[in-house]
Amino acid sequence: MKMFNVFTAFCCTVLLMAVSSCRQSETTRPNNREIIFAVSQAPLNLDPRYATDAASARVNRLLYQSLVDFDAQSKPTASLASWQEISPRLYSFTLNKNRAPFHCADKSKWALISAYDVKATYDSFAFLKDSPHAAEFDNIKNIRVKDDNTVQFELKTADSHFAAKLIIGILPAALIAQHHDFSHDPVGSGSLSLVSWQHQLSLVRERDGQKISLQEVKDPTVRVLKLLHGEVDLLQGELPVELVQYLQTKPEVIVKTNIGANFSYLGLNMQDSVLKQLKVRQALAYAIDRNVMMQKVMVANTRAAGAILPPEHYTNQYSLPIYPYKPALARQLLLEAGVKLPLKLVYKTSTDAQRVRFATIMQAQMQPAGIQLEIRSLDWGTFFEDIKQGNFQLYGLTWVGIKTPEIYEKALGSNSMPPKGFNRGRYLDAQLDQYLLNDNWQAATARINSQLPYIPLWYEGQFAVMRKQIHHFSAKPDGNWDDLATISRYAH
Amino acid sequence: MIKRLIGLVTVVFGVLLVTFLLIHLVPGDPVEVMLGESASSADRVVLRAELGLNQPMIIQFGHYLQRLAHADFGLSIHSKTPIIELVKTRYPATLKLAFVSLLIGLGVGLPMGIFAALKAGKWQDLMVSLVSVRLSAMPAFWLGPMLMLIFAVWLGWLPVSGMEANTSIVLPALTLGLGLSAILTRMTRTSLLEVLNDDYIRTARAKGLSESHVIIHHALRAALLPIITIVGLQMGSLLAGTVITETIFSWDGIGRLLVESIEKRDYPVTQACVLLVALSYVLVNLFTDMLYQLADPRVKLVYAV
Amino acid sequence: MAVLAGRLLQLNPNLIDLNAILSTPSSTHLLGADDLGRSILARLLHGVEVSLLVACVVTILTMLLGVFIGLVAGFYGGRVDRLLMQITDIFLAFPGILLAIAFAAVLGPGLTNLTIALCMSGWVSYARLTRGQTLSLRNRQHVQAAESLGASVPRLIMVHILPLLSSILVVEATYSIASVMIAEASLSFLGLGIQAPDASWGGMLRDGVRYMLVAPHYVLVVGLSLMSLILAINLAGDYLRDQLDVRTEK
Repeated sequence: MKMFNVFTAFCCTVLLMAVSSCRQSETTRPNNREIIFAVSQAPLNLDPRYATDAASARVNRLLYQSLVDFDAQSKPTASLASWQEISPRLYSFTLNKNRAPFHCADKSKWALISAYDVKATYDSFAFLKDSPHAAEFDNIKNIRVKDDNTVQFELKTADSHFAAKLIIGILPAALIAQHHDFSHDPVGSGSLSLVSWQHQLSLVRERDGQKISLQEVKDPTVRVLKLLHGEVDLLQGELPVELVQYLQTKPEVIVKTNIGANFSYLGLNMQDSVLKQLKVRQALAYAIDRNVMMQKVMVANTRAAGAILPPEHYTNQYSLPIYPYKPALARQLLLEAGVKLPLKLVYKTSTDAQRVRFATIMQAQMQPAGIQLEIRSLDWGTFFEDIKQGNFQLYGLTWVGIKTPEIYEKALGSNSMPPKGFNRGRYLDAQLDQYLLNDNWQAATARINSQLPYIPLWYEGQFAVMRKQIHHFSAKPDGNWDDLATISRYAH
Repeated sequence: MIKRLIGLVTVVFGVLLVTFLLIHLVPGDPVEVMLGESASSADRVVLRAELGLNQPMIIQFGHYLQRLAHADFGLSIHSKTPIIELVKTRYPATLKLAFVSLLIGLGVGLPMGIFAALKAGKWQDLMVSLVSVRLSAMPAFWLGPMLMLIFAVWLGWLPVSGMEANTSIVLPALTLGLGLSAILTRMTRTSLLEVLNDDYIRTARAKGLSESHVIIHHALRAALLPIITIVGLQMGSLLAGTVITETIFSWDGIGRLLVESIEKRDYPVTQACVLLVALSYVLVNLFTDMLYQLADPRVKLVYAV
Repeated sequence: MAVLAGRLLQLNPNLIDLNAILSTPSSTHLLGADDLGRSILARLLHGVEVSLLVACVVTILTMLLGVFIGLVAGFYGGRVDRLLMQITDIFLAFPGILLAIAFAAVLGPGLTNLTIALCMSGWVSYARLTRGQTLSLRNRQHVQAAESLGASVPRLIMVHILPLLSSILVVEATYSIASVMIAEASLSFLGLGIQAPDASWGGMLRDGVRYMLVAPHYVLVVGLSLMSLILAINLAGDYLRDQLDVRTEK
């Protein structure tokens, strides 16, 4: 009977585990005071000199302070410091009088940010050979500390947009000198500071001791289940519209929506023999029914896009035409371009189910125009590598958190060919370069809109869903998490 | 024993080599990942040289092995964390999940299989096979959310996902264990029935031994061979990390680390994960073979690995 | 039946109707519509071909290769065994997911590469199983007897070993059809499976799970279909096993 005993033991273990687990779950409810935010992607690196992913950038805005920030129209504004353009090659920054100190476990040692910290932060790019942001600051000739509160940046060449680049969080000079590991142990002066970073990223708000944790929950359905079960208090974006509408019917949660400012587009390979022709690109622009997609499969407040930067941006105070859905016209344009129908094109996208869903709809919409779209969904690494290498005909991507009009130069200027720049479609347009050189944004955006190196799609609406006890948090147009500085929980 | 150790090393070496080649075959290199798209070509060249990526592949592989010999896994490209730290937190999680899943799989699968074999051809047998087929037809990404919906959202007994509570392991382990139990049920039933027709079992029966005595002392022992094979294989893949279950349940295991490192082209992490997966596989295999000999004295050959 | 099938075949699995997104079963969409308003029924019928084709091709190829290697290793033992098992182990110890992603990255995603990737990691379990069994059978009296009577190696394997293996292999194969279908589904879950707009049951099940809170009929219909199909395959396997058993009895 030995064997059977073993089996009984196994069964009992399993049963016991199930039973004991039920009991435990009653006692180990999560701490009520902590606010838990479910994110689809955890931050990768909390050193502002290295961070490139959206999640890290969003958290770093809360952990650190930067010299400059942007207002609602994306104009650079004073944040930690106000500035003066002494000459196009010399900028002077004066730190605010009542600025927050660096966080430090020992409160008596809290030190104010000084001009030396600013210098040390930006000087460190010179020796960080593997920093993705280092090239941004190549133009700095030297940084001079005038006094504790004043620092001057001297540039090698004139740059009227220089101030808008100084958005890197300021680090303490003393720790930089010790090669402190900011990636995992951030020390800044923002509204939040780090408690621990194991399975989740635990933060505490300096002002009132409110604990806020970020938990990575990849699967959208699981994020919704956790929110409904009360395991997390908050989620933002990245759900199919059907789930957002479903959550709107649930009494235990509140859905807050907002317009979006992140530009989704189809990128084209301008070196492709077919896509080189303007008429083919126009045909593509006319072969997508943006309106019906916005109504049926996109969240509320999604707007059709005309330019990379949204209408409320300060460079963009006029409206650009939105391409309507005209499959017959598109077909006509293709025939005029001398293309043999059906025109076969390969469209690359990531494996994200929503992106593939949109791609499948576009595939169907393009069919009556005589365009046969082949969808290839690739894992993110391969997809992004192909895009950077110019190994594509069409791809779909979104520009996230873009603030400065410099993006036009970086994304479409002829000096921005990869590997130095984001002109992944290898677009060459002397006329556009001329406009950009003169900061003539109106002419530049109109030029891009008519020449179509990008097929503009939309700015997807933003939304945040939270338990009904959660207050003082709203979705922001660029999807940032700044409201974690104010979020609070009211007992019911 | 020495032969086995040599075999063990060969397998791990082979896996490392294949991984190294695959990584170089797939587009994307660490310098591109690190510097993004705004760095100058000069910066790229400098960094590439610094990382030794400009050297021939064979020399790079040699350097890699050399560092491994000093237990130096390097840093993650993205997070700059020492990889050894990443692995130290991720691997125990996978180990724990694999062990509990296996326990559930055996606890459910073996009794069900024996029961079905005893009742072969009767309605109970049919019921068992219906249940086990259903279980085997449920992919983790389906079973997982269903279990969450039932046990967390509706009944409120267990957390939906995560690793915070002690009970967090139950649902992911059930997801994996139930699938495993389906395979084990079928294997147990089949191999038991196979053996029950054998001559020596008939002899044992003819001797007038009771049916349960025959099954436990004679049949089960012989039937264990294929069961051990399956358990070994399954344990190997459980230890390789179960990407989907780990992803759905936000379980920070090695499988998820591996896939994320591939997606982010964080190759040092990929290599470390593959090394670990290969090592655990090889060790499980060694253990399986030892069990083989214990289970069936008729097998006397000395196997490699 | 034929009339019904004829009607069904005229359904377009890729016809998008954004007004019918996730609609419940009705006269126009007998089993309801998916997340793009396409007929679930039409997509099931279309997808079953793809899923079964992949599953069968992978199972047959992996079984042929795996059994051959397993037999050779188990029968000859010694150095041959060690070498073959070493190779098997390398394949087995290698995470299959890395292989699948690498294939998709280098050759482009799609059905053929999916099949190759599944084959590369699938044959190993047959090899292990066959070798284990062969080792054990090799020492049995009837094999030893036949060998001492001067039977040739192919004859020993074909007549005295393979038939005894067949039932366990058939069970493994029916299981493997099921597990290949699920592996395809899992790769689809990671986005590496069949490409849009083509349908496979794995891909549909993944989409169904995504919308299980708002359109339970989708995941229910696809899940039940998948279970029924796998059940049918397993019943067929059981029947086949019984037939084979009878033959070995003789």
